[in-house]
Amino acid sequence: MLTRMMLAVAGLWMLMAGATAMAQTGGSVPSTLPPIRIVGAERVSPIAVADLKNLSGDDDHQVSKVFTATLVRDLKLSGYFSVIDPHAYIEDSQTSGYDVGQFNFGDWSSLNAEFLVKGAVTRGAKVSLEIMLFDVGQQRRMMGRKYVGSSHEVGEMARRFADALMESVTGTRGPFATKLAFVSTRGGRFKEVYTSWLDGGSLFRVTDNPTINLFPRFNKAADRLLYLSYKTMSPALYLVDLGRGVETRIEPPLGMPVGAAFTSGGRIIGAFSRAGQTNLYLLDESGGELKALTDEHAINVNPSPCVNGDAFAFASDRSGTPQIYVMDLGGDDAQRITYKGDYNTAPAFSPDCKKIAYEGRGEGGFQIFVTNADGSGTRQLTQEGSNEGPVWSPDGRYIAFSSRREGGTRIYMMLAADGKITGSLTEGDGDDTNPAWSWWIGG
Amino acid sequence: MIRTQRGRGGLVAEAGGWRHAAAAVAILIAALALAGCSSQKTGGPGEGQQGSGLGENGLNGSGGSSLAQFQKSGTLGAGGPLTDIHFDYNDYTVRQQDGEILKTNADWLQKNATARAQIEGHCDDRGSEEYNIALGAKRAQAAKDYLETLGISADRLSTISYGKELPLCTEETDDCWQQNRRDHFVVSQ
Repeated sequence: MLTRMMLAVAGLWMLMAGATAMAQTGGSVPSTLPPIRIVGAERVSPIAVADLKNLSGDDDHQVSKVFTATLVRDLKLSGYFSVIDPHAYIEDSQTSGYDVGQFNFGDWSSLNAEFLVKGAVTRGAKVSLEIMLFDVGQQRRMMGRKYVGSSHEVGEMARRFADALMESVTGTRGPFATKLAFVSTRGGRFKEVYTSWLDGGSLFRVTDNPTINLFPRFNKAADRLLYLSYKTMSPALYLVDLGRGVETRIEPPLGMPVGAAFTSGGRIIGAFSRAGQTNLYLLDESGGELKALTDEHAINVNPSPCVNGDAFAFASDRSGTPQIYVMDLGGDDAQRITYKGDYNTAPAFSPDCKKIAYEGRGEGGFQIFVTNADGSGTRQLTQEGSNEGPVWSPDGRYIAFSSRREGGTRIYMMLAADGKITGSLTEGDGDDTNPAWSWWIGG
Repeated sequence: MIRTQRGRGGLVAEAGGWRHAAAAVAILIAALALAGCSSQKTGGPGEGQQGSGLGENGLNGSGGSSLAQFQKSGTLGAGGPLTDIHFDYNDYTVRQQDGEILKTNADWLQKNATARAQIEGHCDDRGSEEYNIALGAKRAQAAKDYLETLGISADRLSTISYGKELPLCTEETDDCWQQNRRDHFVVSQ
């Protein structure tokens, strides 16, 4: 599947900013060239995405259409760019060139474009793409990528380019070559698990049973998916091998399963309820118990391991109300980190393990909050609707969550810095909940 | 195309024809899209499968477990000889008036000595789904403990939590939330 995609990594030309390339080849460096601008989401930059030039084989422009539509969708979701309407474009991408000196920057600066994406496609047995990003104002190439793969991998190439483009422009790799898993009632009354690319492409229905399916969670490689299902009429944890299409029921003798998550090392933290008390256990991938992490006469749920290290967050009512705690797999004492509010659950560790997002009951419903891992610096990110289940992007810049607003429940993406919603990741009938956001596909 | 795998920690499940199933699923989804928002049953794999244990062989008109009733588009909580009890918000203690209901339920179980009861814990729709499944487990356990103190043998009682997944009503009102914070009793012989 994904691993079969031949990204021409070895031959990938990292066409760096002109000044850098010249420096590396020993050429003279004009000292007046400004450095790459680091733009922030506080200012939306106009960008143009030109049709790809057909070098051969893409006479119906299908590859170009898929690539540009996917890239435009991702750039809009990023919150950093406004994409200039292609109807306004002056030049004909089929007759003009796609590298510096082969086209007129004036055709783009007159549209007020700050950035420009151009490229070319060669379609034979494989699809080959050469894509470049230009700084229109400075009339220079910022970076370029070359991709080779099959025609159904063009969308993935666009997502990888979107991530590289964001790294070039903002200094941080983008979050689009990633997968979303979620629960949806679309097409019926039953909650089923789905996966897709973050931007909604390649929607895949994982479960198909008329019961209740909940809490999908990826492992770091995103080739395994954990979820909870009532499909035998009793709740059980299931581990899906996404590549092989095989799933295993994980059923350690620890009581009724309530939820679970992968650690970065591929182990599982599961919540199991016995005699009314719900505690957390560390399991191996086949469900064998490695150790009890909590042993409380209380509820302990929502395990959320951080990607680096042994720390994990969870929610517990051991104090009398549900609050957020942090501890580590070594079993050190749990540290309570939330004290404001009487109903804080669903914590999610940021990828750098420095922040925790969670849902808390506030005025008018549940809202998403973010706090430092020691409980300091708490901020409320959402203000309207009822909001649940925050999860972080692997770059740590975004949080996805489900929100009931405008009628249905959808999964939205927002900037973790200020709570600005950049777009909706799901659409259609039914309610979409329980988002999980994978690490970058392929690492 | 069925492939099975055995997990060390437990039993076995399987998924067949994954990739081929994807095409069928796509067709199913398209068909559902054409069908619009109708609540017609989808007939997917697993339809009609019932787990072992309690729930399907309801007594005296009991429609089985709440999940089985939900599958059949039935009225949740309908039928059955035992009466639901209710809970305060984010609480699992048996209230005094509900203790009286549990005494009546215990009397029935004493008179029907071969009957078994599965106690379902349910929650209102506020808060995370996972926390609510754990809270529902506490509510079910609270009733089980209470019935045991009234002399009902533990091996006649089992518990399950549905969290906030199977509400009786969906309005955002105090009255509806109160209806949903309940233990429901499913009796089988």
